[in-house]
Amino acid sequence: MQNRFLPYLLTLPSLLLAAVVIFWPVWDLIQISTHDVNRFGQLRELNDFANFSALAADPDFIAALWRTGQWTVLVVGGALLLSIPVAMILNTDFYGRGIARVIIMLPWAVSLTMTAVVWRWALSGESGMLNSALIGLGLIDHNIQWLASAETAFPMQVLIGILVTVPFTTTIFLGGLSSIPDDLYEAAALEGATPLQQFREITFPLLKPFINIAIVLNTIYVFNSFPIIWVMTQGGPANSTDILVTHLYKLAFRIGKLGEASAVSLVMFAILLVFTMIYVRLAMREQRA
Amino acid sequence: MRSKLKRTIIAWLLLAPLIAVTIFPFAVMFLTAVKPRQEVLSPTWWPSEFRWSNFSDMWVATGFGQALLNSLYVSVIATVGAILISVPAAYAMSRFRFAGYGALRQFLLISQMISPIVLVLGLFRLMAAWGLVESTTALGFIYMAFNVAFTVWMLQSYFDTIPRDLEEAAWMEGAGRWLTLRKVFLPLCLPAIAVTAIFTFINAWNEFVVALTMLRSQESYTLPIQVFSLVAGRYTIEWHHVMAATLLATLPVAVLFIWLQRYLVRGLALGAVK
Repeated sequence: MQNRFLPYLLTLPSLLLAAVVIFWPVWDLIQISTHDVNRFGQLRELNDFANFSALAADPDFIAALWRTGQWTVLVVGGALLLSIPVAMILNTDFYGRGIARVIIMLPWAVSLTMTAVVWRWALSGESGMLNSALIGLGLIDHNIQWLASAETAFPMQVLIGILVTVPFTTTIFLGGLSSIPDDLYEAAALEGATPLQQFREITFPLLKPFINIAIVLNTIYVFNSFPIIWVMTQGGPANSTDILVTHLYKLAFRIGKLGEASAVSLVMFAILLVFTMIYVRLAMREQRA
Repeated sequence: MRSKLKRTIIAWLLLAPLIAVTIFPFAVMFLTAVKPRQEVLSPTWWPSEFRWSNFSDMWVATGFGQALLNSLYVSVIATVGAILISVPAAYAMSRFRFAGYGALRQFLLISQMISPIVLVLGLFRLMAAWGLVESTTALGFIYMAFNVAFTVWMLQSYFDTIPRDLEEAAWMEGAGRWLTLRKVFLPLCLPAIAVTAIFTFINAWNEFVVALTMLRSQESYTLPIQVFSLVAGRYTIEWHHVMAATLLATLPVAVLFIWLQRYLVRGLALGAVK
């Protein structure tokens, strides 16, 4: 008898904790976004989704939404394209492979905040070390104000985003590559398959479930990624590098438009939920296979 | 033998650009941290001398010690709490069959994916309503709650790999569930629990957005917020102090992470691709 309730008793605290920290804020956000709210956060009457229609009419929100799409696709795609060859190289046997692995994993070991602080300094216009390095290499002849305009700031942020996403992605692919038996390649080589054919016919198809999982997980992480952009430019200059998370943060804690901010939160929550459902389906399908 | 040498050269050549870009920020961080103050703003790479006293100057000037203590306090609460709560849950999910198991597992998987940034406004209002803004203790509890899904998931993946035979043998000998748990199961799980705890610790140590929102005065800042506050909205930034602080805040955790990284991947992989 005791045994029947025991598992529920044991899992209840963690379930409650995980649920409270998600459902309570979500409930609160629904309340604020659908009611009129004053500056101090007191709820008034229902507002017929005024906050959501305000969002749809807000060019800053539309711009941030669009930039979030670019940010996510570029970072996830870039990291993917870079990580497949990197993982394949790291999967071969060569001298110093352990060291190479550690170096490539380094960005993962450092918090995004710290990485962004260092890059903000490295990209500084007058005394930044990237400029002096590039001038030293003869690639540019004058200092570039990297973070002063969106044309240079945003691509830089994307590149840094890719750099910090590569370690995790590579690790997933290394796991995938190690599950491919070597005899497949030996047989293919005996049959006279070129390395390119081997990649197309063996590596890629067998890696595909891992690629899918990497895409979905990275999409979720990158979509939510706040520190890189916030620390480097705070979405500036003139909101030109804002993505949804930084726009949300400004709305909520700078401007104090709680209603619109919670509407943005809910929109993001919905998008995230869709990504997560895709991930759950992928993960569960893997589990069954 | 010769072919391995050839492979080595090709591999390092191909990886060289990525490695250069990866090491670049670390070089910047280190070299700026040891530069004498008057050289920081000049665009030379190598300092004329290594000014190690920057670190002790920085420690005093930026209130690093207080932020370090805050970070430790918050991360320890998060880690100890999350482990205490999730070990029983992971044990139940690994060793019992019960209705709702699949739903629970899906719920944990989904809630791992919900990032605090989306909920930060709601969390802030919740904490404000309870008068807990500025409280590092409350921050520790928020981190704990956000990490529980991850720790249960990781722990269950490991627990599932521990064969039941040992426990069953102990039952045969007449040991009760509790005794078996204490004498047989938990000792076997200790490494897994340690690894999971360390990852929770690192998560809490590195967290930015919730801390940025909840902590409003310098006495309560954790390290990431402290370092950020040295940079954000200031006219003169003491970059050599900032880089010294970044280096000190990063190094211990980075070493731990690099050392344990493969366990994380194995745990996640065991959970997702079993």
